[in-house]
Amino acid sequence: MFELIINILLFVFLGYTFFTHVLEAPVPVKVQNNPYALQPDVWPKAIIILLEICLIINIIQIIKRNKGKEDFTLKAFASSIPEFFKSRMFLGIVILIVASLILETVGFMVTALLILFFYGMLLGERNIVRLLIASVCITLFLYIVFSGMLSVNLPRGTIGFLRNFALFLESVVAGVKGIFG
Amino acid sequence: MSMMELLMSGISAVFNPSMFFMVCVAIILGTVFGALPGVSATMAVALGLTFTYTMEPIPAIVFLTAIYCSSITGGSITAILFKIPGVPSSAPTTFDGYPMAQRGEAGKALGVALLASAIGGLISAIAMFALSQPLTAAALQFGPADLFAITFMGLSILTCLDSDHVLTTIISGLLGLLLACIGQDKMYAVQRLTYGSQQLLAGVEMIPVLIGLFAVTEVLKQTNPKKKRMTGDDGIGGGKVNTQMPSIKEILSIKWTLLRCSVVGTVVGILPGAGATIASFLCYTMENKISKYPEKFGTGIIDGIAASEASNNAATGGAMVPLLSLGIPGGNAAAVMMSALTLKGVQLGPLLLTNQPEYLSATFVSMIVTNILMVVVAMAIAKVFAQILAIPYSYLGPIIVMLALIGSYANQMAIADVRIMVLAGVLGLLVKVCHFNSAAIVLGLVLGSMCESNFSRAYLMSKANLGAMFFRPIAGVIMIVCIILLITPIIMPLIKKNKAKA
Repeated sequence: MFELIINILLFVFLGYTFFTHVLEAPVPVKVQNNPYALQPDVWPKAIIILLEICLIINIIQIIKRNKGKEDFTLKAFASSIPEFFKSRMFLGIVILIVASLILETVGFMVTALLILFFYGMLLGERNIVRLLIASVCITLFLYIVFSGMLSVNLPRGTIGFLRNFALFLESVVAGVKGIFG
Repeated sequence: MSMMELLMSGISAVFNPSMFFMVCVAIILGTVFGALPGVSATMAVALGLTFTYTMEPIPAIVFLTAIYCSSITGGSITAILFKIPGVPSSAPTTFDGYPMAQRGEAGKALGVALLASAIGGLISAIAMFALSQPLTAAALQFGPADLFAITFMGLSILTCLDSDHVLTTIISGLLGLLLACIGQDKMYAVQRLTYGSQQLLAGVEMIPVLIGLFAVTEVLKQTNPKKKRMTGDDGIGGGKVNTQMPSIKEILSIKWTLLRCSVVGTVVGILPGAGATIASFLCYTMENKISKYPEKFGTGIIDGIAASEASNNAATGGAMVPLLSLGIPGGNAAAVMMSALTLKGVQLGPLLLTNQPEYLSATFVSMIVTNILMVVVAMAIAKVFAQILAIPYSYLGPIIVMLALIGSYANQMAIADVRIMVLAGVLGLLVKVCHFNSAAIVLGLVLGSMCESNFSRAYLMSKANLGAMFFRPIAGVIMIVCIILLITPIIMPLIKKNKAKA
């Protein structure tokens, strides 16, 4: 049932996209008046039409394949929803989404620390002190390697003291690099 | 200058002790950079630039070429061990490399990857040395219609990526093509499919989607059952990986794959705008199509790894051809090398090889040395990376997530890419449940932009005449082959069914 719902949602979403979002800005007049130019909406519209056709066929196939099956009901699907929200996988998704949202504000180091610590706990690590120490060490290691040594400008965050700490760490690495290089 | 004199000048340039030492350093740096997710081959070459500021032009190109070649090879290490391609062109290596690693054959997968990389690199280096000028002239004959036909050939694999779910695989490929349309269109810069988001204006990059669909989805899948430590069943043997070279029998079984992919990879490398990533996807699809056992591709066979790795390394030699013979970079990494040479006052252009053929010979010898030495270096580096896998999964899982985060962010230094990566990771779970195909989505995304822009250009140039567009020797033949390849897996079962009825 879940597969069917996803396919129907995708079908509806693409239909909505076809009529509203394929072109979001006016096409330059020069292009509009050029009879030989492929208009910018043709390619995505052609793909969406093909997708809609394939999705209809797929929806029919799913219904045919599962017809008469006991678990192929909305009721069975509805009963599986609470189970998903209680699962570790759902918590994992929440951690990742939160991390991606706070990354810009709190910077790489805090985000990394939170991911390493909370995801580690989620994966069953019970020794909290060891996990915390490891999280701090891994965070510093990653920051020094990528930001300090490989010049990847990892986000420093917009919060003053976190940004200053990141800058301090970078200056230390730059200082060490200066001594050796 | 005769061929032999040219060769000797290259050997003397590379084999002087200080230069040889620098080449060894470059190989180590390149392999490590390549193995690190988020550090692409272009970035590796750019990082190597700092070492070349005090060098003369010829040692500089030798050094950068060594970094470039070895970084492409390094990408296969994490692709096989973690399912995170170190460089984008190693993405198809994950399709068969990771399943092999999961079966406990990580060492063998690495061995095949390294051997294929070396062979691909060597063949392309020889092609570059011997055929630089005629190859460039031939590549310049390729018009937009021909380039469209080539990318379309890459897409024609969609019908046989997963023979049990052909329809959902086609849907996945089309979704990938649609993702490639997001942002400003390449021809007229008109905003499309952004749903009002400024962050989507630049389009959807392949790297975050790839990392999300492969690495993040994998970690999320492993989150439900509590996992203590990677075991032999997870493929990595508790962190001990001994790279195992394939047997003679195995090498003979993939000899044509290696040869075909090396040649195709070199040619694709020469084509402007293509490069190692397109080459590896194209060759993987091509080998899948012509294989006697296409259903085994993606389940962990050495043919898939050989196709991907031979072609992406062959593309490195190809990319150097237009750079040295015409002064046109074949790809991003070649463009960085070009800027390094320009900084040193080297006049790049058609006269470079006539006036200073040492550039070609030194690059050639550097590629030969690199492709041989990197096998040994990559073996050692793979051992170090494999140690990471002995870490309990409660530590390793979050480390993989962090590498995925850095990998997707570092590509463009954009937070939006991290969000796309997370979204792709979650969508990867839906893809599994709905029998869609992650590889097909990535394939569509990689080839989509090149496919559309070349089609638009060809359409404009042929004055909207589709017949004239494909009535060219290269495009026409390739399109006919594509159509045959595309419909065969759909029609064959129907024919078999009818025969069985009769």
